Parts: sequence; structure tokens; C-alpha cells
Amino acid sequence: MKGRKQDPVSRTPDHRANRIVLTRTLILLAVFGVAAFLPLFGRLYAIQIRDHDMYEQKAIDQQTMDNSVAANRGKITDANGKVLAVSATVYDIIVSPKDFASVQKNWDKKYASAPEKATYARPEAGDVAAGLSEILGVDTEKLLKSLSKDSYYEVAAKRVEKETADQVRQFVLDHHLSNSVYLSPTTKRYYPCGSLASQVIGWVNPNLENTGAYGMEALYEEELAGQTGRVVTAKKGDGTEMKYSFQDYYDATDGNNLGLTLDSTIQYYCERILEKGIEMFDVRNGGFAIAMNPKTGEILAWANSPTYDLNSPWTVTDPVLNQYLETVKNDPSAGEEAYAAALSQMQNQQWRNKAINDTYEPGSTFKSVVLAAALEEGAVNENSHFYCPGYAVVADRRISCSKKAPGHGDQNLAQAVANSCNPAFIAIGQKLGAEKFYNYLEDFGFLGPTGIDMQGESQLSPVPNLIWPRDKFTSANGITNLATASFGQGLQVTPIQLITAASAVINGGHLMQPYVMKSITDPEGNVVRQNQPTEVRQVVSAETSQRCRTILEGVVNGGTGKRAYVPGYRIGGKTGSSETLDSRRGIDHTIVSFLGFAPADDPQVVILLMYDNPKPVSAGSNFTAKGYYISGGNMAALMAGELLSNILDYMGVEKNYTETEKSMVDVTVPNLVGQTAQVGRESATGAGFTVRMVGEGDTVTAQIPVGGASIPSGSEVVLYLGAEKPTDLVTVPDVRGKTAAQAREILSQHGLYLKVGGSSSYMSANAVAASQSINVGTSVERGTVVECLFADNTMVD
Amino acid sequence: MPKLKRDLTMEEQLARGPMDLPFLMLVVLLTGIGVIMVFSASYATALNEGHAATYYFIRQGIFAAAGLGLLYVTSKINYQSFRWMSVFVLGFALVLLVLVLVPGIHTNRSDGVKRWIRSIGPIPAFQPSEFAKLGVILYFSARMSKRGSEKKKKFNTRTLSGTLLQKADGWGFTELVPYGVILLVIMLLMKLEPHMSGTILILIPAAAILFAGGVRLGWFALGGAAVGGLLALTMTGYQSTRILVWKDPWAYPKDGGYQIIQSLYAIGSGGLFGVGFGQSRQKQLFIPEPENDFIFSIVCEELGLIGAGLILLLFVMLIVRGYWIALHARDRFGSLLAVGVTTLMAAQVFLNISVVTNFLPTTGISLPFFSYGGTALMIQLIEMGIVLAVSRQIPAPKQG
Repeated sequence: MKGRKQDPVSRTPDHRANRIVLTRTLILLAVFGVAAFLPLFGRLYAIQIRDHDMYEQKAIDQQTMDNSVAANRGKITDANGKVLAVSATVYDIIVSPKDFASVQKNWDKKYASAPEKATYARPEAGDVAAGLSEILGVDTEKLLKSLSKDSYYEVAAKRVEKETADQVRQFVLDHHLSNSVYLSPTTKRYYPCGSLASQVIGWVNPNLENTGAYGMEALYEEELAGQTGRVVTAKKGDGTEMKYSFQDYYDATDGNNLGLTLDSTIQYYCERILEKGIEMFDVRNGGFAIAMNPKTGEILAWANSPTYDLNSPWTVTDPVLNQYLETVKNDPSAGEEAYAAALSQMQNQQWRNKAINDTYEPGSTFKSVVLAAALEEGAVNENSHFYCPGYAVVADRRISCSKKAPGHGDQNLAQAVANSCNPAFIAIGQKLGAEKFYNYLEDFGFLGPTGIDMQGESQLSPVPNLIWPRDKFTSANGITNLATASFGQGLQVTPIQLITAASAVINGGHLMQPYVMKSITDPEGNVVRQNQPTEVRQVVSAETSQRCRTILEGVVNGGTGKRAYVPGYRIGGKTGSSETLDSRRGIDHTIVSFLGFAPADDPQVVILLMYDNPKPVSAGSNFTAKGYYISGGNMAALMAGELLSNILDYMGVEKNYTETEKSMVDVTVPNLVGQTAQVGRESATGAGFTVRMVGEGDTVTAQIPVGGASIPSGSEVVLYLGAEKPTDLVTVPDVRGKTAAQAREILSQHGLYLKVGGSSSYMSANAVAASQSINVGTSVERGTVVECLFADNTMVD
Repeated sequence: MPKLKRDLTMEEQLARGPMDLPFLMLVVLLTGIGVIMVFSASYATALNEGHAATYYFIRQGIFAAAGLGLLYVTSKINYQSFRWMSVFVLGFALVLLVLVLVPGIHTNRSDGVKRWIRSIGPIPAFQPSEFAKLGVILYFSARMSKRGSEKKKKFNTRTLSGTLLQKADGWGFTELVPYGVILLVIMLLMKLEPHMSGTILILIPAAAILFAGGVRLGWFALGGAAVGGLLALTMTGYQSTRILVWKDPWAYPKDGGYQIIQSLYAIGSGGLFGVGFGQSRQKQLFIPEPENDFIFSIVCEELGLIGAGLILLLFVMLIVRGYWIALHARDRFGSLLAVGVTTLMAAQVFLNISVVTNFLPTTGISLPFFSYGGTALMIQLIEMGIVLAVSRQIPAPKQG
């Protein structure tokens, strides 16, 4: 401070003031330089170290885009590779009203000042709605409403097929709509066979991200669906993808293909026969038909009624169900809600897999199992005799036979089975004993699940309240239970349990685990999984099984199941007419069924056909309006004969006719016109016809019947050698009520031919013509074939 | 031709003393790191806005270079001349604060806030409040340093008013009146913008200067209570929402909470070592204007606790050195200048980091040397230059 002129104040330095400045500055240093920053370090530590993971996870969640890549769902095919379910790409049509507004704004920006320069018209909501409405078939008003919303995403149409989608794409291009209308790809499941095997195949629910809702689609969901892929990309705050940043791919794995044991053709036969029977017999509660390979347990066909089209599972198509819906609709007291409830109820009914979801009292079909058990245990043999007075008394309870007094009288075992005689089976059950009887219930698999790969089988073992517990059954009081169980009443089984057990009876005694999935293959066709026949256990010996087959063949060969007889095929089986809880309460409700197998010596197919509740003509009547006697033998067996005949023909099983059958077999008449007399005679005789020549020429000039007609072998063929063929008409006689032999004779006298309709056992003396294809009194040409349907209404089972 | 040393006046000689190198090095270091971080934080925004990736970086770099030049020039000035300049700076700042309220001069913002004077010709847009800070620091320091030299006023104690005035003067009230009036005028003008954070950043260094200058402590209690009361009164609507957002930002992901949530995500994902320089993902349009007030969260994300902690430490060292210069300054004016500038910077750093870490409710306070903003950076560097000018005149320690 030398040489500087000091002012008076600083010459007397205020030491106290300086000290204050010094200390206060030090305080500021301590506060702003140190103290203030300590909590900030603490804060950084808390966020960056302590809560690091939480914040990092949240940051990553918002920084990445997770786009899913749809996997293609696998196909479902039948045993022959016929496609039953397949997926295809379809498109959802999305409109973005906000983008539409900016599309309009852009046009305005460009052209509003000079509309004459515009290369295209200003996109207007009305035009777009009208255009899309035309392509998509959606209401214009609805589209207009969507377009006026304040959003980026409004669904205009769902699951539109490629052709329509292409039209939309073109429409968007033509009208310069850019991203205000766009397509979002998704998949749709197609079922090329419509309603075929609906309850088995099931369907995928588009409302639940295309996951399987029922049947195989649901059961094998994981296999079929494949693995949805993911693309994880870094994204910016505005939602756009971050370029040159990380990207993780998780490839989508397409679903595997599912090969079923079902055979579409057999399935079709089963469904057709089911429908036919329901129509013929006025069946009220539907029914089912299962066909199975008895040796392997493979399910060949599995038909339920009512059924539905897999392509529109919510639509009710079954006539019986629809009729019910109509009643609700027309009922003035039932409102919208009642209808919705009814609709949902009907939908559930058609989706229901009756043949596995429902249990029923198997009735006489169950006798096949009792027979096997009794033979195996030696309780009875082919020489055992049973006397039937038309009823049996068990513990003071009188149980009547289907044939009322005087009953079946004395019968051997085969006759008792053929007659489906209840008193005889009560005796058989008692000889077997409750203890052993119950063992066989277990061994034949009636107390647990069959293990079939199908939805809806109870996994409980035993399922409560379906079959008596062992201690109750074997107790002294259980004697009536044993009695009813012996003819298949009082116990509840599932259809699949019964057909599986019946297979064991006839296939050599092996209880097979039934299955529907044959193989699973990956998209390249490599087999991933394969189902092999699985034997659960041997229940009866091969010898017992063979004896059962013989006895059961007798049921069709003249027994209660004779309507299932098909000339040329050896068919065995057992009829059943089950009582139900309803019928015991006095309400008409009978379940008619037929358990059949063929060929009897080496069964290749076993079927179980059931119709639930044919409607009697009047309350309490045993006949339907169309005159059918309500019983398994008259209904189910009749249909089963036709079904088995179809299946065996399809399977290529060779026919072997007996001599009598041969005379009745229809043979096609060869066309012999233009042949020499010699050749004509030889050809006709060779085909199994008798020949009558009319005229003197060398060449056949006409013939009766004409070539191509199908008439019974052994019939007379008339060949005209130059002589005039009579052209007069003959009148069709009445052959109704006549047996086949009588009818043939009468028709032949009129120059007409008989063709036996159906596949029923028309050889039976009891079978009489119920109807004829050409009405009585009609004038027809000579040689016309008249087809008659024969029925035997005297049978009961 | 430079003057010979013997021809220089005493002041001129002193002004040629050595700058405080540690302080200078810290300033240069922080400015350098700051500009680089602006590059990292801004390029995504720049690209998104259709600029080149280096758009903000180059502009900030130019301002930093110019600012360092101004720093040097300022540091060469004999700071005693700031005494007379201070009046004009403050007056100029007040004029600007009035002008900014005039439509057509301030920038047009959608929210109607008038904080910026728009760019006119070559002059970039700037906030007059930055000048006000400087003006207040300069003027208050200058006035406060003369405190001890002022004559005691005499009042006529025979009148009542005279007695009261005598009493007030005894309590040290009268000397505070000019400071109070200036602050009130500034607060009023800035309330009209409105600009609360700017007001706080003027009040804090002003209070620090008065505090260091020796004003009775009781007045601070009174002033603090008054400002607190005013704050409480203005806590209506918009302001009180801030408190709610601060308490639970996730409850307000749309209104106000968004920024703070994104900031926390950025800081949190940094962890100990950070995701690496330039690797921030939160700057990819998640944090709005990441080169601005929230640049420190990008620093935390990219450089981790270690990097952010080091930068924080550099700030602490700079602040401590600033007070150190104040303690060693040649005279009280120098001390108070250093105290004012240092406290201003400390407050700004503290408040900015408190906001990005959600330690305090959100206010728009930028981070010195880091946040993008040319004029602010230049003025900050000029302020640092003032401290350096003070440091030049620190008497050399006696030898031996």
C-alpha cells in the first residue's frame, strides 16, 4: 500500500467489521460449498446405486418395443392326410380418423388455393365410407361414425380374406388415403370339412387370440399354436424405432401338424347314419356314433348329434335345437334375455361332446361284458341252460324280462344272449358273484378314465355316484344291484368306456387305451410324437374272447340284432334299449343303442351307435309316429347294419355269401343286345340268371330287364331274338305284408322284379314288406324293378 | 508499445497480478466437459428437429470460446472500476426487465411467459434476468463495501419521526432501504414475466452479499420470513401442482411428472459406471430438451455415479476456491464480488441438481457450464472473469 493516498476511513481499519466479513464468508463456504452438496451426493447414491435396478427396468420397459411375430398354427389332418383344419392369413381393416384428418389437411395445404391443380379429389369421409362399405359389406353409417372419432385405431372389419383385402389396398392407393386406412394381418382358421367331427376337432376362438376353444384344437393347443416370436428393438421417446441400435430376434416357431386317427370317410358314414336315424325315429336328444379299431384303440370316427359347422361355431344349425330357439323367439313372455340365454344354451349343447361328456345306463349292450367275465371265470359255458318265465324275482323284487310271460322259456347261453334275456343274465351275474363281477367292472375300465386324449373325460377314479362303491355292491343288500348291473342298468358309464371295454371282449381280451392323436409332425414333416397302441391290461383270455365273438355273432344272426345283418359280412354285436331315470319316473325316455363289430372272426372295426330318446307316437306307446318299435334292435341295429356295410365296403373287407344269400344278392344285368344268342345265354347264365329266349333269330334284339338294371341273382332274364318285345304295361301288385319269397313270386308273375331294400334280415320268416318303391296300381313297363323295404316288428330286446 | 512497469499506477500494477490458476483451471475444465456433454445430450434432439447432429454442439462451442475470451478480458480489468460500472449495469438490467414485458420484444411462447428478449440482428436471444443477477451482485457489492466509510446520519430526535428514524438507523434499517427497494422492484418486474426461479437466483446472491457485508442477522430472519410468506401466497394453481408432482411424479405422468420421471429413469439406469459416453437412451426423445435444464441426468446416465460425482466434486472445488478468493481478496469489494458470484453459481448448481434428482420441486434452473444456452454461458464466464479479476489483486503472501 506504499505510495498510495489513503482515505481517512481505511486508515483506521475496522478490524471488527473485517472479522465479520471473514467469518460470514467462511459460513457461506461451509453452507454453499459443503453442506448443500452432501444431500445431493446422497440422492445420487440412492437413485443410481440403491434403486438402480428398479429404474433401469422401468427405463428398459419404455425404451424397447416388443413386437410379436405370429406363428402359423399347425394343420389337423385325418388318418389319410385329408386336411380338417388349416390356418390362413386374413386381414383386419383399420381406419385411423386422426390420420384421415391429416390426409385431408395435407390436401388442403397443397391444393386448397389452387384446386384446379389437384391431381386427385380431396378425400371426403362420405366417399371413403361409401367405398369401403361397398368392398367390405359394412354399414356406411357405421364407417362414417368410426371416421369421425378422435382416435388412431378403429376396426372397420375383422378377418377379411385376401381378395377383399387387395381391393381395400387398391382403394387406399386410388384415393390417396395413405395410412389412414390400413390392413393388419392376422390369421383365420378354416375347417374345409365344415361340420365333420366338430366336437372332436374343436375350433379356435378368434376372440381369445385364436386359441383352441374345444376339442383337439384346445387339447393340443401348445403343439398346434407354436411359439410366438418376438422382435425387441430400441425405440425413441416418440415411439419410433431407434436405428443402428440393438435388436433381438426370437424367431417364431410354427405350430406342429396334428395327424388324427379319424378317417373322414368313416366319420362321414357315422354322421350320415346318425342324422338318418334321428330323422327316421323322431329322436329328440340327439345321439352319437363311435367307430374304433378294436385291436389298437384308434378312434376311426366320432360323431355327435346335434352338431355344428366349425367355420361358424356360434350358429345353431341343428333342426331340433333351432326349433327350440324358434319357440323361445315366438314366446311373447320371453324377452331378449331369455332368447340370449336359450341361444347360449343351444350353443353349448351343440359344442358338447356327448360321447364322452355324458354318462348313461348302457342297458343290454353291457351284457357283452358280463358274458365275457362269466365265461372267463367259468361261471357259465355254452352248455349252460337258463329258464325264463318272463320275469325274475330278486330279493322280493320282481324284475321283468323284455319278453313278458310266458317268457323265453328254456335257452342255452347263446340263445339267452341272442334273446337278450334279463332273467338269464341275472342268473349269470349271480353265478359270477358280486365280488368277481366288481373285479371285472374295474378290469374293463369302468371305474376310471380310459385315458383317451380327448377333452371332457372325468379324471376321477372312480367318479362318484356313477357306479356303486365296492363294499355296497358286494354287501348282502347289493344283490339287487348285482341283478340290474347284470343287464346293464343302475350303473352309469361313458360311451367311450363301453366301446373300449367291448373292444377288449372281442379283440382277444386286450383292454386298449383309445386315442385320437396319431402323430405330431413339425412343419418340415418330421415326426415329433407318435401314439402307439397301448394295452392297459389283458382282461380275458384270447379263448374267452373268441367264444364271445361267436355268441355275439348269433345276436345278429337271428337274435335281437338281426336287423344289423348284412349279407356277405359276418357281423357280431349286442343291442340295447336302456331305461333312464326319466323312464323310471314314468316319462317316455328310452336310449336305443347297438354295439357292433365286424368281421366277427377277426374284428377290424367296432362301433357304438346310440339314439337318445325316440319320440313315441303317443305317451306311453312303444311305437314312433312312423311305426318303428322303440328298441335297440329295431332302430339302432337297423342303422348299424347299413353303417357297418358302408364301413366294411370302404375298408375293402371281402364279402362271403352263403348259398341262400347268393340267391338274393342283387346282380347287375349285362347289356346283351347285339350279341349272338349263344353269347347272350352264356353271359346271362354266368351272371347267375336263368334265361328265357323268345324268337328264332341269331342275335339278341331286345332284353328284359334292360342292361344295367340290378335284380336278385337267380331271376329270369328274357332275351328276344328278333321277336317283338312286348310293350304293354303291367300293373304293380300289392306285396306289402308279404315275405320276401312271396313278394318275389307275386312280382315275377306280373313280369316285374323284386329288389330287397335296406340291409335287414329279410330272410327271416317274420320279416314282411313294409313299403314298396312303386305304388300299388301304377302301370309300368315289363321288367321294372320294384324295391321293397322289409321290417320285422316282432322283435324286442 | 506497452508501458513500463514503473509507469503503471498502483491499480494497474495490481491488475497485472497472476490470476488464480486453480479457479481458472476448474472453470475451463467444467466449460470443456459441459460443451462435450451438450454434444452428447443434444444430437438426438438436433436430428429429430432436422438439424445436423452437431447443431447445438457447434453453437455452444462458439459461445464457450467467445465466453472464455470475455472471461480473459474481464479478468484483465481492474475490478475497482466495477464500482462505478455497477450502477449502469444495474440500471441497464432494470431497463431490460421493463422492455421484456413489451410485446414484440420478448419471444412469443405458447404459455405467455415473457422471459426472453428475442434475437435482434446479430444479438442472440437472452434473458434480462441474467443481467439483473450481474447488476445486483456488482451494485450490492460496491454499495456494501462502502458501508463502514459512510458517515453516521444524524436525526432530529426532538420530532417523533426523527426519533423513529434514529431508532431505525440504530437497528441498521435505513441502510437496507436502497437494497430492499432494488430487490422489490426487480421482484415485481420478474413477477410480471413471471420468472420465479430467476428471482430466487437474484435473491440468494444478494442475501449472501448483505450477509457477508455484515448486516444484522435479525434482518435475514425477517427477510427470509417475508420471502417465505410471499412464496406461500403465490403458491396457487400451477405452483402448488409442482409440489404434488414433486411428492409423487408417477401420479402425474402427463402433467408435469413426465420430465422428472424420465430424469429419474436416466439417472437410475446410469448405475455406478454409467452406460457410456454418448450411449444414453433417455436422450432419445424421452427427456424433453435433454441438452437443457436436465442435462445432468444425461451425465448421470452416461457417466454413472462416478462421473457425475466427479463433476459434482469439480463444482464443489470451484465453489470452495471462489470463497477462498473472497477470503483472500485485497479489499471488501473484491470479497463481496467473489462471494456474490460464487454463491450465485453454488445456488444454481445446487438447485439444478436438486431438481433433476427430484430432491426439490421442479423449477427451470440451468446447470452452469453444462446447460445449452449461449448468452447464459457467456455471462457466467464473465462472472467467473470478475472473480479472476479479484484474484489478480490478492496480495502475494509475505516472503520468509
